[in-house]
Amino acid sequence: MIRSYFKILVVASTLSTGACFTSCKSKPKDAGNNVDTTSMSTPAPVTPAPVEITPDTTLQAGVRDATKDFPGVKADVNNGEITLTGEIKRSRLPNLMMALNSLKPKKINNQLTIK
Amino acid sequence: MALQDKYQQLVDAAKNAGVANLQVREQDNVLYIDGEAPTGEVKDNLWNIYNQIDPDFRAGDLIMNINVSAMAAGATATVTTDSSNLNIRKGPGTDQPIVGKAAHGATVTLISKTNDQWWLVRTQNGEEGYAYAQYLSV
Repeated sequence: MIRSYFKILVVASTLSTGACFTSCKSKPKDAGNNVDTTSMSTPAPVTPAPVEITPDTTLQAGVRDATKDFPGVKADVNNGEITLTGEIKRSRLPNLMMALNSLKPKKINNQLTIK
Repeated sequence: MALQDKYQQLVDAAKNAGVANLQVREQDNVLYIDGEAPTGEVKDNLWNIYNQIDPDFRAGDLIMNINVSAMAAGATATVTTDSSNLNIRKGPGTDQPIVGKAAHGATVTLISKTNDQWWLVRTQNGEEGYAYAQYLSV
């Protein structure tokens, strides 16, 4: 009888420790990209996953492809940011922006002169 | 939160139009909206709203990564270049050799999506290769 009571106590304390651990782990925190949310077994994520920013080398290849048919446009990539300079027709701007936005950059600085 | 207010109309429109896997996140003073639009029209409409809120996309405070989810394998797509032929390439990149061309307005068959930028397609002539997704629409 005492033994089974002891067992229940152990199980209960283990559970409460686990619960505390989980709740501590899932507290929102303003960390960088190092937070590993995939290994968590909680059913619903408490905080949204951080935004994935495409690395510069991948971004550069994507930007090269996206701007190929825009001869007046120059695009520089630095730390996930795309900076656009040069000229573009207003009617073609949305197409360029759609292509660049789908590359998942950190930010796009549009300094284009619009004709 | 201010950014979410600024683009609230856009987020509402995305929700109402049935954009799947919609994610709205703010990080380092940039708002990121991700999702899959059911049709090309929905995507175009969201971009029109974006252009109204932030004319000519000057503010640099939004990255809207909305792609069209309807492109299943076997689906056909129309080549929507301005007027020129669409290059069909050996691999997914403009540095890859051109293995075929699809005319403006022609139809191609989608084989698979390599990523949001490059799709593996087959032309009406039976040429297979990678085409830039921006110039294909369902």
